[in-house]
Amino acid sequence: MEMDQQPTTDILTVETIHTYIGQFHILEGVSLRVRRGGVTVLLGRNGAGKTTTLKSILGLTPPRQGQVILDGQEIQGKRAFEIAGLGIGYVPEHRAIFRDLSVAENLKIAERRKGDLERRADFIFDLFPDLKRLYKLPGHHLSGGQQQMLAVARALVADNKLLLIDEPSEGLAPVLIEQMMEAIRELSATTTVLLVEQNFIMASQLGEHYYIIDDGRTAHDGAMADLIHDTALIRRYLGASAARVGGEFAARSEQRRGG
Amino acid sequence: MKLKGFWRQNSTFVVLMVLLILLIPLGWITMGQKPFVRTVLSGLTLGALYLMVAAGLTLIFGLMDVLNFAHGAMFMIGAYAGWQFYTNPTFLFGLAPLVFALMTGLAATPLLRPLVIGWPVPEEWQRRLRTFLILLAIAVGVIGVLGLDLRDLAKTAMVSTMVAANPLAEATPQEPLARFWLRPTLLLIAGLLMALAQARPGDQTQIVHRAEQRRGWIALLALLALTVAAVLVREPAAIVVLKMNANWRFALALLVGMLIGGGIGAVMETSLVRPLYVRPFYLVIATSGLAFVLKEVVQFLWDPLPYQMERPPLFAQPGKADSILDWFSAQTTTVDILGVTFPSYRLFIIVLGIVMLLGLLGLMRYTRLGMIIRAGVQDREMVEALGINVRRVFTLVFAMGVGLAALGGIGAAPFIPVEPVMGDRFLMQGFITVVLGGMGSVSGAAVGALLLGLARAFGDYLALKFQLTPAISEASTVIIMAIVLLVRPSGLFGKKE
Repeated sequence: MEMDQQPTTDILTVETIHTYIGQFHILEGVSLRVRRGGVTVLLGRNGAGKTTTLKSILGLTPPRQGQVILDGQEIQGKRAFEIAGLGIGYVPEHRAIFRDLSVAENLKIAERRKGDLERRADFIFDLFPDLKRLYKLPGHHLSGGQQQMLAVARALVADNKLLLIDEPSEGLAPVLIEQMMEAIRELSATTTVLLVEQNFIMASQLGEHYYIIDDGRTAHDGAMADLIHDTALIRRYLGASAARVGGEFAARSEQRRGG
Repeated sequence: MKLKGFWRQNSTFVVLMVLLILLIPLGWITMGQKPFVRTVLSGLTLGALYLMVAAGLTLIFGLMDVLNFAHGAMFMIGAYAGWQFYTNPTFLFGLAPLVFALMTGLAATPLLRPLVIGWPVPEEWQRRLRTFLILLAIAVGVIGVLGLDLRDLAKTAMVSTMVAANPLAEATPQEPLARFWLRPTLLLIAGLLMALAQARPGDQTQIVHRAEQRRGWIALLALLALTVAAVLVREPAAIVVLKMNANWRFALALLVGMLIGGGIGAVMETSLVRPLYVRPFYLVIATSGLAFVLKEVVQFLWDPLPYQMERPPLFAQPGKADSILDWFSAQTTTVDILGVTFPSYRLFIIVLGIVMLLGLLGLMRYTRLGMIIRAGVQDREMVEALGINVRRVFTLVFAMGVGLAALGGIGAAPFIPVEPVMGDRFLMQGFITVVLGGMGSVSGAAVGALLLGLARAFGDYLALKFQLTPAISEASTVIIMAIVLLVRPSGLFGKKE
């Protein structure tokens, strides 16, 4: 593969990690490489181990075996706050914002150095103009979509070189999904994003590269442009509805090329 | 829309306040002015004390899910520490050099780490080496305190309380410095050995931080200076404190007791509690076990007797002041408030409780630490994922919570007997307060403490008036808790179930 020829472009390498939660062997050898810049997508069914992969990278569920290398530095075994401090932003699933904190405090708490928020405020409000209006409100007054925007914005306050974003489209209305997609596309111009996404429309439009996690293992990977044509592969790992979406995309891009 | 939001957020608070305000005229009319005012004031005094215990409990439970059954013992330790410091601090100053020496040794941990990380210790021997080092440290430490007559030191305050003798005359002669200096030295070595064990020789998976190194040096040098100073001044300092203006001495006792409590809290969190976060049930056993141990230690040092700590002169002049303003100049034992003769020291407790509450609310609302605590109560993992060292926050909050309980203990010492079991009652009421107010909420604990204090006071009043058993006032708090939990299972201001 071409990736093997340019290892220096990888910002993150995960090498056959094994992660246990309690007695359960959740990850049984996940490997992946995230190239600097752009969006890499983790695909897979519910319970395949996508979220655990993100948490293992960050050290929230530390892997027992294997290596995680960030910018040439081994980070497995460090504590989560140390790993995050190296420049990883995390957007957990289910819009995990701090409900009792105001929007302003939700952002302020993510500062790693004094003045981080002031420095990044324009960029953040550019991406999510709503947050400026809601700045003083407590988190639990926000709608689901606004909470999700805030969760992403919070990961942008500190100077992060890698963002781990878990299911940003979950439970959002279609209009908001569009908006979220636009925001992630925009911020991926300046940082690297590793995205977990069940919504195949969103995943296929954002991702340049994909990995399929199945049963705690890396099952497949490649360029997103190839995946949307491979209906059989999609149906096998991601289900029939994703395959339909993939088929439509493929057909549309054929049409565009033909017309 | 704004009004609606305000209502949704504060409905519990508003309803409670309206109820209380409606009850005031009712009580005033049916009970008569004097009994009513007296009962309310007693209720507030009790409430202030409950709050000091409950504030720490609620923060510790909210953030760490730890039910600290040693919190009552911490209240008791605070009372003893304050009583010692105020009556005769010989014991505290005699012990300080040893404690500081041990801490100095321990503070060397981050400095030793880069030196020992590369030691060629095979992996299977690393654990054994650490165990050996810790056992060695304990042995050296025991040798260090061998023959030190703790009970003689402890007796000084005991005697001056019991026979009201001149405390200055009671300062027991201590070991000459020529012999004493060996003890802190041995404890310093014990601390260093423990630090060596903590630095995990040969364990190369650790990370060495530059910032930690710098802080480590500062802490080490500061503690070393403190140790040397404590060794040199251990006798004269006790006399200086005793010659000091007694009101200042009392203020200082509040501060010292709180710091001692905070120190014990920090040590307790890092040593006893931290390894057990994953086993919550063991924590219940470990903390209640610690409570028993502390009670026994106190009994050993001061005998299982109740002591009455003297009130500071600010609240001790005979007579009655006509108003609070009058009290400022007369400094009498009692003050006239709305026709009721009330002990001025109890007013001080109420004020202390209010000041503490405002300070705590301010800390939670306006500081970064408070923000992190509020966020951590909801989602610790996410706080850690933002790059915040949650473990250090845990230690800080534990120290703060225990410090507040100790402060409550010293505050209570001048008007309830100082004895080993004094904390048990407050622990129980503290838990009820926390459950009532909602785990993790400071304002909830405040409202809960207010309700419980008033319930106790009015229960006592009713029991006396209708010749019922006094158990009715104790039962009232539990009944209130049961009713509140039926209506709101997460407590009045609960953040978590």
